[in-house]
Amino acid sequence: MLSFVEEIVLLMLDDDTGRLPDLPLASMETVLAGAALMDLALRDRIDTDLERLTVIDPAPLGDDILDDALHRLAAAENVLTVPAAVEALATHADPYCDQALARLVAGGILREDNGRFLWMFQRRRYPVVDDREQREVRERLRRVVLTDEIPDPRDVVMICLVDACGLFGHVLDAEEQGPARPRIEQLRRMDLIGQAVGTAVAQIGFTIRHNPSAVF
Amino acid sequence: MEVGHRQQNDVAVVALSGRLDASAATQAEAGLDSALGSPGPRLAIDLTGLDYISSAGLRVLLVVAKKVQRANGKLALFGLCDNVREVFAVSGFDTIFPIAADAAGAVAAVR
Repeated sequence: MLSFVEEIVLLMLDDDTGRLPDLPLASMETVLAGAALMDLALRDRIDTDLERLTVIDPAPLGDDILDDALHRLAAAENVLTVPAAVEALATHADPYCDQALARLVAGGILREDNGRFLWMFQRRRYPVVDDREQREVRERLRRVVLTDEIPDPRDVVMICLVDACGLFGHVLDAEEQGPARPRIEQLRRMDLIGQAVGTAVAQIGFTIRHNPSAVF
Repeated sequence: MEVGHRQQNDVAVVALSGRLDASAATQAEAGLDSALGSPGPRLAIDLTGLDYISSAGLRVLLVVAKKVQRANGKLALFGLCDNVREVFAVSGFDTIFPIAADAAGAVAAVR
């Protein structure tokens, strides 16, 4: 099973260009940090409530991204609220995207193709070789968002991450997005880490809109 | 965490008491699963004695609710104390789960 970090990176890739969206770096880091925290939560390494995030098992999982995140949380000297944990981990999450892409390439889901266009812009292309994983995520999310089906916890996490990235256009048709908004709002509240990620990304967007010279 | 189970005609009433967090999640899920034996299960979850719920605890309830839905059953909760009710409100779980005022209301809701 893919990690949430891998799933959200896959979903962010543009099908045609194989490129990542043009998100502010701070937003990308926040989403990746949130994805790692959600992975740790669903693998019983951390637990959260309205007041704090608790490391309940510091044992490594054998996943370089998640073990880095877990180590940082376990080493924290102060009690962390969920928003504080997201913010703290985001400052270290920049490498997570490249690590996830490398694993997806190694796992045969993506292939790396350094094209001319990307050479010029110093970015890499990751065209999807085997899009079963990407389709599965989209179909799962569509079913949960467009019906009254009770989501499973993994669906809730992905809805939080997809919405924080503004990627529901990759999941829903244009005419579906407006009517689905109340349901998306309902579902994305259901994970406390997801709430913190959504709030942090919205604040980053707000800051950029009101202070475009801010460096993110 | 303590899990109690009683049958009220065709409705299983499962009581969760104590703290429902990651350390109690497996026990709570097993206790709730044991009440889902028949097709179309009717389940009322008594939270009167539950004084704490974490995100891991919420996930247990979500997973069980999904199982009930897949089995064409019905589920309702009752007896939420103030701090558990606050967690439900903040997380929006109170919009996903039917929450009754008392046991009689929950049993009636799932019939």
